[in-house]
Amino acid sequence: MSVSSSQPAPSHREVSSPPAHETWGHRRLIGLWLALLAIPLLAVGLFAVLQPVQVLPRIGLAPGFLWSDLNGQTFSSELLRGKLVIYNFTSVTCTAPCLDGSATMQQLQDRIATLDTGGLPVTLVTVLLDGTESDPALLRAYAARWKADPERWQFVTAPADSLKQGVGGGFGLYYTATAAGEVTFAPLTVLVDGNGILRAQYKRTLPDLAFVERDLGLIAAEVRNSSGASGLVYEAAHLFACYASY
Amino acid sequence: MSEQRSELSPAGETHSPQETEQAETLHVEKWEGIWIRIALGMTAVFILAITVAALSFGISVPGVTARISPAALNDPENPFATPGLRELAPGKYEVYMVAQTWNFLPDRLEVPVGAEVTFYVTARDVVHGIKIAGTNVNMMALPGQVSTLKATFTKPGVYNYICHEYCGYVAGAPIGHHTMYGQLVVADAPETAQALTE
Repeated sequence: MSVSSSQPAPSHREVSSPPAHETWGHRRLIGLWLALLAIPLLAVGLFAVLQPVQVLPRIGLAPGFLWSDLNGQTFSSELLRGKLVIYNFTSVTCTAPCLDGSATMQQLQDRIATLDTGGLPVTLVTVLLDGTESDPALLRAYAARWKADPERWQFVTAPADSLKQGVGGGFGLYYTATAAGEVTFAPLTVLVDGNGILRAQYKRTLPDLAFVERDLGLIAAEVRNSSGASGLVYEAAHLFACYASY
Repeated sequence: MSEQRSELSPAGETHSPQETEQAETLHVEKWEGIWIRIALGMTAVFILAITVAALSFGISVPGVTARISPAALNDPENPFATPGLRELAPGKYEVYMVAQTWNFLPDRLEVPVGAEVTFYVTARDVVHGIKIAGTNVNMMALPGQVSTLKATFTKPGVYNYICHEYCGYVAGAPIGHHTMYGQLVVADAPETAQALTE
């Protein structure tokens, strides 16, 4: 057990120096960990920058409602499940400079007949903010003016309090109605997908149909391509790649 | 550990070939290696957790919800032209707010208890921010971008909101960043709002 004093004690360096193969193993291990860390970060970065898949954001759930069409028939949000729905909101009292979007809806009615939506049916819904308290004949006359095809374009209304809950609280449109029945509102067009999820809100008068056509195309592409594993890619795209639609 | 550190020399010193070789063969102590692995493992778990949370629960980082040209803020068709609080439906409100040097428009809001308020905030000139003290409302206000946040206020009181981005100064004018604030009054009755601010 005695240690000869003539033998120099081994230096700490010699004691702690590992064999070459062990050092190489440690380096490989650290490199592996760094690679494991870098790969997802790089993938996320590239996905965010290059945006290989573009989607419309899921803004939130569209409101459920139980309103009626101009013939007094029940018109509910459940009837629109599985369809792409474009809503706009207006009033029969809307005269210049009122920002009435019905002319745009009329153009859309013609356009969607030839638009490729991947087989997804598209329905247009114009909500008349006047409410059922207004003269039904006035409401019907307004709808007739736009030559709406009932297969594609519906005009609906409801009692004032129900409209306020659905349109104001649900779709987020601020509007006021005077006791004389004059309605003031901001322009709003809304795109809702077949699952009842708000996908786009256009809070201005649309100069043309380009934005709506683009967004309908994006939803159609998502429905067409997001099955199976590619569905995860689309879910990832929802984190990074959204169009602004203001 | 102290022995290992003794191998590492400050940059610029000359080394013999033997010393250089020893310095390159950095040995990681057992427990140091264990903790490095734990740290890397935790990082990987965090990234995985964030990814799973984002994909499973739809949690996403704040981003651009809309764009708007600062030049269009006064466009009559634009709600930012008349910033303020509006009641969408009973209990539901929206606020269009413009941040500018050096104030908020509006600088005073009153809502009843339980109100669900959607904030739309943009900036007219430079980068601003809004933080409503005592709540989770905390947003950037950027020129050209609309930041959106929904919050429900369940406790009555007076909540100050401030600009939390230093928004510079104009040459020759007093710095006004610190004067950029407003008040949100959450009242359980309309008359209480008046009393709370007196």
